[in-house]
Amino acid sequence: MSQTKHIEVDQDFIENLCDEFGNREGTVVQILQRIQEKYGYVPADALDMIGEYLEIPKSKMYGVLTFYSQFYREPRGKYVLKICVGTACHVRGAGLLVDKVKEELKIEPGENTEDMLFTLEPVSCLGSCALAPMAMVTDTAYGKLSPDKMLGLIKDLESEHLSASEPA
Amino acid sequence: MLTEVLEDSSLQLEERSSLPVIHIGMATCGLASGAKALHELILKEVASRNLAVKVVPTGCIGMCHNEPLVDITMPGKNRVSYRNVKPNTLTQILDAHFNKNEFAKKYAVCQIPVPGAEPFAGLPLMQEIPFFKGQVKIVSKRCGMIDPLSIDDYIAMDGYAALRKVLSSMTPEQVIDEVTKSGLRGRGGGGFPTGVKWNLTRKAPGPEKYVVCNADEGDPGAFMDRSVLEGDPHSVIEGMILAAFAVGHARKGYIYCRAEYPLAIKRLQKAINDARERNFLGDNILGSDLSFDLEIKEGAGAYVCGEETALLASLMGERGMPWPKPPFPAQKGVWGKPSVINNVETLANIGHIILGGGEWYASYGSEKTKGTKTFALTGSIKNTGLIEVPAGTPLREIVFSIGGGMVEKKIPFKAAQLGGPSGGCIPTSGLDTPVDFENVVSAGAIMGSGGIVVMDEAACIVDTAKFFLKFTQDESCGECTPCRVGSKIMLDILTRITEGKGQEGDLDELVRLSMYIKSNSLCGLGGAAPNPVLSTIRYFREEYEAHIRDKRCPGTVCNDLIKYVVIEEDCTTCGLCEPVCPSGSVTWEKGEVAHIDLTTCIRCKACVDACKFRAII
Ligand SMILES: Cc1cc2nc3c(=O)[nH]c(=O)nc-3n(C[C@H](O)[C@H](O)[C@H](O)COP(=O)(O)O)c2cc1C
Ligand code: SF4
Ligand code: SF4
Ligand code: SF4
Ligand code: FES
Ligand code: FES
Repeated sequence: MSQTKHIEVDQDFIENLCDEFGNREGTVVQILQRIQEKYGYVPADALDMIGEYLEIPKSKMYGVLTFYSQFYREPRGKYVLKICVGTACHVRGAGLLVDKVKEELKIEPGENTEDMLFTLEPVSCLGSCALAPMAMVTDTAYGKLSPDKMLGLIKDLESEHLSASEPA
Repeated sequence: MLTEVLEDSSLQLEERSSLPVIHIGMATCGLASGAKALHELILKEVASRNLAVKVVPTGCIGMCHNEPLVDITMPGKNRVSYRNVKPNTLTQILDAHFNKNEFAKKYAVCQIPVPGAEPFAGLPLMQEIPFFKGQVKIVSKRCGMIDPLSIDDYIAMDGYAALRKVLSSMTPEQVIDEVTKSGLRGRGGGGFPTGVKWNLTRKAPGPEKYVVCNADEGDPGAFMDRSVLEGDPHSVIEGMILAAFAVGHARKGYIYCRAEYPLAIKRLQKAINDARERNFLGDNILGSDLSFDLEIKEGAGAYVCGEETALLASLMGERGMPWPKPPFPAQKGVWGKPSVINNVETLANIGHIILGGGEWYASYGSEKTKGTKTFALTGSIKNTGLIEVPAGTPLREIVFSIGGGMVEKKIPFKAAQLGGPSGGCIPTSGLDTPVDFENVVSAGAIMGSGGIVVMDEAACIVDTAKFFLKFTQDESCGECTPCRVGSKIMLDILTRITEGKGQEGDLDELVRLSMYIKSNSLCGLGGAAPNPVLSTIRYFREEYEAHIRDKRCPGTVCNDLIKYVVIEEDCTTCGLCEPVCPSGSVTWEKGEVAHIDLTTCIRCKACVDACKFRAII
């Protein structure tokens, strides 16, 4: 797994968020969701800033952060390959998809590729079990996948990335 | 029965429209099958052909195996459904309707009756084809029919009529009465009578109350709630407003939706905004003294948050840990106030019950489970998708008539898994089980929230049990030791068995641990975690024993137990298997029997599939 530099957190952004949500109860999860939306993960610095600003003990912030599998404490790849390993997908060969990605990108579940382009994330049911096996990449769902189609998808995303980063 | 429901009201939409309508299924399944590109193509075709038509995206009609689905309704004619529509078939379909005034027989599935419209000859009606024949659509009636983004579509199909009726002519007690009479029981899996729950919340002291919709739908293999949220979001909102009215003018409601459903969240939010604009939500709804508003809370990826007390904790920004009941949410829920918490499907049923009457709803279903239930049919079955049937419909009918039987003709049915990680497997001998709360429990599973995963003989029962246990073990919140540690020990034993290291006595130990975990766990997750193991030991003991004693996996799933060998007598020395092997494990020389090197074989099965003579097993 690559060691990536953490992002510099924007203090104003955090304080605005806290002001927006802060004086109401039960907003820690939502604040963390918004931070993750912006940075792709929840940087430790951000956690400290919220804790200080809202006077919430650090231990409590960490407790919430680590409880939910959706929060990440490390930066993640541009494309997160969410491969469903739920029941319906499992019985239709989801394991083969995961193996294919592991083999092709040389990463284990939860890891990023060196170039930070891909993250492999086996997830539980995505709710489109009728088209098992399923995967989702940036909110787009792909159904009836096979290891070969998975490979094709990775190639497509790679070329999408290349054409996006080419100077116009 | 379906006819009756359809004729009722469903297609007033087209009736009102003098333009041809093209519907395209754009729920998650549709999108995953390429509906988005198809939608763009339709718009392009329509523009280049200069057609005056309405193009309407809709939700899930249930035939997810046939996606992408496109329906065409010409004025004065029935609506024709097309399946697996590809760019080239699309042009043929459009040609047929718009140039030749007929339909494209080759790709049509069925026609959906439009009241007063002319049927097409030579095309079965929706309710005549096997997939829909045994179905009764109440809660999923609008899914796939209307544009989920249009509040007017919803209203045209009786939407918000129940709310108007209640606000103008019913008391909260009468609403609760009607719901009680309907016999409706919680569709989230627990099966608690909804009327009773509402009454408890109503009677709880204090003026401040809340309504919560459980849209966490965490069971893998289940997507009923997703289909309703994506296909008919207003029905859930209306159900919540009715609940707010009934429990004593709750002012605030929350929809707790799992983050894995981005499309559902988007559509819900749009529906909430539209409902606010029309004053179905907000202050003094439709001029009454009821004021109620809704907020969506996104889950953050923890299965246990589907459990109601954990959900409440999460809603309030805490770690989603269950708390011991009592107090029940009806007494102490959101912010410590009495709260009614119901599942998506439960709530979406309420409007229909109010309009049709409790007795009408209770006329469907079995003795103790009234009404209809939606199921997500998945696995090795031909017609995967979403269905709605009267409670008590035999499993056989669901799997073989509606589901169309097994996907691979040659591989027979082995078991159906019902109820997800809290449920169990029902074998061939249980196919006549009526699917309702009580009977499925007697058969060793639970009806649960409605996931049915069909497995064929190529599936491995031990692997399936292990799969579920791994799931619950991962998702255990860790609060109680029996659940956290017990399930880990069970998982270790199962893993050993699938690796060919099983020992005599393992099964007894699994049963013993199961009993202990079941009776010593705080919440339903731990309490039901051993069910998949218990039910499979009950019905498939021999298969466990094959793994333990003979180190053999009858379903050829458990990698460590698979040893592909070439049967010398059957091998015709054709050599087809050699080039397909990705690991170079097959050696073959012209005229010689092939050979597999098991030390390098990765069990990909490519050679087995390549061999036309079934010489590799
Ligand atoms: C581990 C666990 C997970 C649950 N997951 C869900 C769920 O995803 N959706 C749901 O509606 N109910 C779920 N439930 C049931 C809820 O606790 C609760 O009974 C239900 O939301 C009540 O609504 P109902 O009476 O309308 O079914 C779950 C229960 C347990 C023990
Ligand atoms: S049974 Fe399991 S999931 Fe439920 S509270 Fe106990 S440890 Fe948590
Ligand atoms: S199962 Fe796959 S890896 Fe093994 S011998 Fe056959 S083709 Fe080769
Ligand atoms: S494909 Fe089958 S018959 Fe042909 S060489 Fe291989 S094992 Fe023998
Ligand atoms: S099990 Fe994979 S989408 Fe449901
Ligand atoms: S999601 Fe399209 S028919 Fe089910």
